[in-house]
Amino acid sequence: MTLLVAQAAFYYMAAASVASALLAVTRRNPVHSMLWVLALFLHVAGIFLLLDAEFLAAVQVVVYAGAILVFYLFVLMLLDLPGEEARPRFGAHWPLAVAGALGFAAVIWLAQFEMPTVAEAGLATATAGLEAAESSPLGSVRDVGHELFGPFALPFEMASLVLLAAIVGAVVLARRRTKS
Amino acid sequence: MIVPVGVVLGLSGVLFAIGAFGFLARRNIILMIVSIEVMLNAVNLSLAGFSRHLEDPRGQILALFVIAVAAAEAGVGLGLIIALNRNKPGASVADLNELKG
Repeated sequence: MTLLVAQAAFYYMAAASVASALLAVTRRNPVHSMLWVLALFLHVAGIFLLLDAEFLAAVQVVVYAGAILVFYLFVLMLLDLPGEEARPRFGAHWPLAVAGALGFAAVIWLAQFEMPTVAEAGLATATAGLEAAESSPLGSVRDVGHELFGPFALPFEMASLVLLAAIVGAVVLARRRTKS
Repeated sequence: MIVPVGVVLGLSGVLFAIGAFGFLARRNIILMIVSIEVMLNAVNLSLAGFSRHLEDPRGQILALFVIAVAAAEAGVGLGLIIALNRNKPGASVADLNELKG
């Protein structure tokens, strides 16, 4: 019964995220588009929860929906584009864009038939990881933390350098040039 | 796993295609960058699906790094848009044709 509820929740989230993504790329008003992208991010966070990625769901809501999207809205309001709604939404080449997007979807659809199963991928740690997850009270958040501060500690620190470089770059780019 | 991994990958592919369409077809430069975010989110979804399918938390780690790089990309991209808007007001890429041969 709970499996059925979870499946129903998954298919609702899937349908809602596809619908909000379509609305986001087709609305004329940029602020409406942003709000539909917000709906998309929250539904994807729900799918992450159903896939047992609790920490990823939290990061999705806090960082994506909370920080990045608010940043986009901030810049949109800052630029103040009054004539935007009167302009055409799509370039003249939009049928080509539809064809390209459908081509991407077809490639991804074909690629999933080539996907190895767990046994074929030869992951010896697969079952061990499952048992560890079941025995640990915190579940996957603890596993993610162990990975992040164990084998992935160096990439984790590099990510902070990437963010620092982005902060400095954004300030340098957006700064008003002063004549000295 | 509550649904087959192929369903998650199909959803991810559909979202990626919608994002690709938005990037290729929209003329507003801010909405083009938001379409990139939609594509990155689709990839995160497939990474989380693989992580669940293979019972390996490393997929989620990779998705976390994708989110970190997306935040950096948003900061630099919007800084570029502000600099661009100062030189040439408006957000339509159709107006940016100075280098057109």
